[in-house]
Amino acid sequence: MLTRLKGGHVVDPANGRDAAGDVFVEDGVVVEAPQAGREADETIDCTGLIVMAGAIDIHSHIAGGHVNTARLLLPEWHRAFSSRPGETALSRVGWTTEETGLRYAEMGFTTVVEPAMAPSSALHAHLELADTPIIDKATLVVLGNDDLLMSMIREGESAGAIADYVAWTVSASRALGVKCINAGGSAAFKENVRQFGFDDVVPDYGVSSRQIVKSLQTAVRDLGIPHPLHVHCNNLGVPGASSDSIAATIKAAEGDPLHLAHIQFYGYGTEGKRRFSSRGRELAELVNATSEITVDIGQVMFGQTVTISSDELRQFAGSKQASPKKSIIFDHEANGGGVVPMDYKRKSFYNALQWAIGLELFLLIEDPSRVFFTTDHPNGAPFTTYPDIFALLMDRGVRAKWLDALPKSVVKMTSLPEIEREYTLAEIATMTRAAPAKLLGTPDRGHLGAGAVADVAIYRPGEDKAAMFGKAAYVLKDGDLVVRDGTVVKHRYGRALTLRPEADKAMKTRLDRYFDDRYGLSSRWFEVPDGALGREDPFKVVPCRA
Amino acid sequence: METAWIDGKPASPEDALRAAGELLDAGRLPLVTGLRTDVVGLRAAFSLARQVGAVIDHGESASLYPFIAAMRDGGAFLASPAEMRRRADRVLIVGDAVGECDVALLKMLAATAPDLGVRTRGAGRRLMTLGSRAISLPGNAEVTHLDCASDAITDVVGMVRARLAGRRAGEGALSDAAIATVATFLSEAGFAAVVFAPTEFGELGAEQIFGLVRDLNETTRASTLPVLGHSDAMGAALLATWTSGFPLRVSYGRGPAEHDASLHASDRQLSGEGEADVVVFVDALAGAVSQVPVFATPAILIAADPAAPDAARVVFKVAAAGRDHDGVLYNARFGSFVAKPAETTSELPTAAAILDALADQQAGRGAEAA
Ligand SMILES: [Zn+2]
Repeated sequence: MLTRLKGGHVVDPANGRDAAGDVFVEDGVVVEAPQAGREADETIDCTGLIVMAGAIDIHSHIAGGHVNTARLLLPEWHRAFSSRPGETALSRVGWTTEETGLRYAEMGFTTVVEPAMAPSSALHAHLELADTPIIDKATLVVLGNDDLLMSMIREGESAGAIADYVAWTVSASRALGVKCINAGGSAAFKENVRQFGFDDVVPDYGVSSRQIVKSLQTAVRDLGIPHPLHVHCNNLGVPGASSDSIAATIKAAEGDPLHLAHIQFYGYGTEGKRRFSSRGRELAELVNATSEITVDIGQVMFGQTVTISSDELRQFAGSKQASPKKSIIFDHEANGGGVVPMDYKRKSFYNALQWAIGLELFLLIEDPSRVFFTTDHPNGAPFTTYPDIFALLMDRGVRAKWLDALPKSVVKMTSLPEIEREYTLAEIATMTRAAPAKLLGTPDRGHLGAGAVADVAIYRPGEDKAAMFGKAAYVLKDGDLVVRDGTVVKHRYGRALTLRPEADKAMKTRLDRYFDDRYGLSSRWFEVPDGALGREDPFKVVPCRA
Repeated sequence: METAWIDGKPASPEDALRAAGELLDAGRLPLVTGLRTDVVGLRAAFSLARQVGAVIDHGESASLYPFIAAMRDGGAFLASPAEMRRRADRVLIVGDAVGECDVALLKMLAATAPDLGVRTRGAGRRLMTLGSRAISLPGNAEVTHLDCASDAITDVVGMVRARLAGRRAGEGALSDAAIATVATFLSEAGFAAVVFAPTEFGELGAEQIFGLVRDLNETTRASTLPVLGHSDAMGAALLATWTSGFPLRVSYGRGPAEHDASLHASDRQLSGEGEADVVVFVDALAGAVSQVPVFATPAILIAADPAAPDAARVVFKVAAAGRDHDGVLYNARFGSFVAKPAETTSELPTAAAILDALADQQAGRGAEAA
């Protein structure tokens, strides 16, 4: 069936389109305009509407053991989840895989990456993703605090051997990339170390965080994994030390791609009488000057949320500020992690400045293809706040209103009031469509050229950008009309995008023995078999680079 | 081979489905429980519960609730058994129940020694049991026993916390010297693991033990290994949480999921005291025979090894997940879900297939009625 999306304003920066025109869809993919004489079987009138590819979220904690623990810890969170008070449907249904898929789809998001899947929790994460409707999903598998990697580095094993181990882990866990979270920091915390920087050494291994990051960066490059190593730096949230850690990590990229996650949490200095200040401008300049670096923001928005992280050291430190006062700290193999509820308050100097630093970074990083739109859901804010963030980026007037409501002491500490930039629709489409597809190595999406999957988000433009992005007029997923007027009208399941790098046979034998001898675990338990998810065709394999 | 029965008499699967549907139609509030099945079976059970507006709970959720309630009230430090095997230099086994419900875990910890960590590696592993009797364990590990009645343990843990905080512990079941022994054993650990069964002490006792471990982490490292007894119940609670937002004990009776840990508990509903007036009971795992209750209300039993054709009004014999067909099950030793391949082939339908057929049939009837 040929569908014509007729006469909308097509914003498709990957293909240089930013004008009125048609988009044609057939058998789930975007196709060229048909030859004269062929009529579309179905036409959706997009006159006056904005037509974009479906949006891609590269970093959102939506599935897996830690996310589910947050649900367990916070039954009350279900009521707090909605960013739209007055709506009670969410509070009654709860924060579920089902709701996650529906809410994302209603905003025009069609692909979402769960960025922190522990190897031991891979099957759990994929089971949740398989129950998350509408959207396509992907995961990043976490390495960098695991005994085997640190032992291999300590023993001076070859880059090839390390790459084999990484390949096995990615392949077994069905990941689309590799993430490294406070490299060495969780392992050090198990040794009762309470502060850990980029050049600190993990006790017993004699291996620094820098060595771990560089080893993984090399392995990811050598394996041809399209998504660069995704790094959560050391000292997240610590004034001064955070910005030192991220600066050191950026310098350590040394010309090879590196993605740095939720950098807002690293833009903190120690100036001012509260010893808490913005280093947003300096950090943005550093990113601007380092072209091999990509970043996402981790924007903070005000209200109750919960932080979910495999940075066990950081979560332990943060547990002192838990609100409500309860938290879970995990001592699992490798990373461990923690779940700590947070209530970001507009009237708090610290929280308000965090909010401003995120926006400084969004607005001062010049290239929209190197800065990605995230709240680190739910760590900075739930993803349901996205429409408000779009409005803040696109409209100075909205920013001015928000700034007016902040403590005056905060406004003095941020350059945000002077920043005039307003994101254009084309820049929004670059940041949330074209660039993420490139970053993830998924050329079948993020654009509306012929051959792309027909994931399309159609918005009703207006002065109120939050309203525009909050409820898409139409969303197509693989060519199916799934959302109309901000409401899901067709239920279906997407797939998980995965890599399948070939793992070396000898490495497999070695890992069988390693997990059994050391942990008493079967290496088979780390694998996610095709049939386990109980869905037809649950995976879509993305090729590695040759 | 017979696979379905109505009122104890063999029936075709189609007739049995129809009879089951009539029971569900006649009821006002169904209960879907037992839930001894794999992930796909659990998913199907939740779909059915949503479809027919049922209360849903695992048959053994009582084994989880002291843990869940304590954790969501006050938080916790939680470890995985495999990490503690390599990391913990001190293991405190609290109470008597662990020795009964997971002696394999204790044996594993006794037979291994920490090999990770400057602070923990090399000195071997010391174990201490705090309970009414010593537990005999193999291996070279050094085991100290402190005698303490099970029902005094919550207070004793409080006294240990007081001692660690430098406060006077007050009078209790153990002498000052014994309290000091426990406190020192833990505070001198490089990494302490505290093993206990939350059901033995209830919510308040579990909170006290989580509190002790939280205190220890101010100066050293420590975590807990709560032993829950029924790993399939834990799997069901996890799936329930991502599916409904809540760890079981959920009602879809008024549409959206509503959670009430006492109202929607399976033991209350099965006893006949609850509002449920028809039961779907799923018992489709191999291994330990579960306690299929004598039903107080009309029941539909979906079981791998039904005790008798008249164990319920309608009985379906199904394959056991992880034995007769591949299945994903929660594995407590791993601390997560594991894919378990079948050990044999079977012609029997899966529990999920029966539950799905039932849900489809009821959806069809709903559509006809509307
Ligand atoms: Zn994150």
